[in-house]
Amino acid sequence: MNIFKYLFLIPFLAISQLAMTEEGHDTLFVPSVRLGVDVSGFARHLIEPESITGEITLDVEWRKSHFFVVEGGLMEVDVEKETHVYQADGYFMRIGPDFNILERNPDSPNDVLLVSLRYGYGKLEHEAPFIMLPSPYWGGRETAIPPETYQAHWLEAGIGLKTEIWRNLFLGWSLRGRLMLSDTSSPAMDPYLISGFGKSDNNTSLSLQYQIMYRLPLQ
Amino acid sequence: MHALNTYSFFTRRIVWLVAIILTVLLSACDDDEVCEEITANNLRIGFYPAEQEDEEFWATIDSLMVHSLEKPDDPVHDTLYTVSSLELPLNIHASSAAFVIDFFHARDTLWLQYNKETHLISVECGFTVFFDIQEVEHTTHYVEGISLETSEVTSTLDEHIQIFVPDTIPGN
Repeated sequence: MNIFKYLFLIPFLAISQLAMTEEGHDTLFVPSVRLGVDVSGFARHLIEPESITGEITLDVEWRKSHFFVVEGGLMEVDVEKETHVYQADGYFMRIGPDFNILERNPDSPNDVLLVSLRYGYGKLEHEAPFIMLPSPYWGGRETAIPPETYQAHWLEAGIGLKTEIWRNLFLGWSLRGRLMLSDTSSPAMDPYLISGFGKSDNNTSLSLQYQIMYRLPLQ
Repeated sequence: MHALNTYSFFTRRIVWLVAIILTVLLSACDDDEVCEEITANNLRIGFYPAEQEDEEFWATIDSLMVHSLEKPDDPVHDTLYTVSSLELPLNIHASSAAFVIDFFHARDTLWLQYNKETHLISVECGFTVFFDIQEVEHTTHYVEGISLETSEVTSTLDEHIQIFVPDTIPGN
């Protein structure tokens, strides 16, 4: 495997280490939980109606500027064309830390600029119940690929922003780079979309996500 | 210690602007859903002079035609002139195919055995077949030798087989 694929992780790890060495605690810090919905999957559905992804996020600020994050969601692909039918259903989960690298501004004390690290797992079942293979000389052949299960494990790193737009209501975006660690490649068919990872063309992917979140102070 | 200690109104606008620009760029990069044309993954053959050691230059065949053994009355290629390379469609209904290359002064037959794999191109373009050549045999009436260069016949433009022919046509 090409080692250069891992290089994009280095700056994120370095910045994360900086955040972890922060000394001193803010006595005014209030732990909080933030619940959110990722809306980029729904927005993408408008452009690509054959696929839809729903995702919810939960982050806990257990220590000032240190977050533990769980993300999970569902994906569905349903394509019906003259030459083929393809269907996939899957789910995914990501866990990992976020570190705020922004000094809190008194005017917007809850706004954060985050460096994120995640471990991701996705599982899906996909099938192609109808395929018409073209061959001008030999004539087309009708075939099908029965349901198959596919699993993938990956690492991802990213950077993102969460801005409080109204009392405890946040808008956020996050740019993520993903690196596939392992997957169960099928001899018959690679999935069109890997739940939680994206297009399966190669071992890396890049995505931009948008979230709407609500923050619940715990004290 | 925080890496950033200023987060002004201006900075906030810039950061969101970057997000919007990234969205547009990523959407542009991902805009590959237009399927231009589904093409079969053909076997690509190049003709080379048998005496040439470095296989740098193609040989040029004055004229030839090709048909399969299964469909002798339906030529894959009707008469072609000044031929240096060929594309042959492998049979997606079977795991073997045989082609007769008629050089008009001699005929040679090429037998191929292969494995097939159905491959999803994209939801727009649908499926195609990738082949993995297992075995190649041939007659030697005019063809002097064959080299399997790449066994995987996919959507790439690789040359899969090299056919070596004499520099001069027998009898000339």
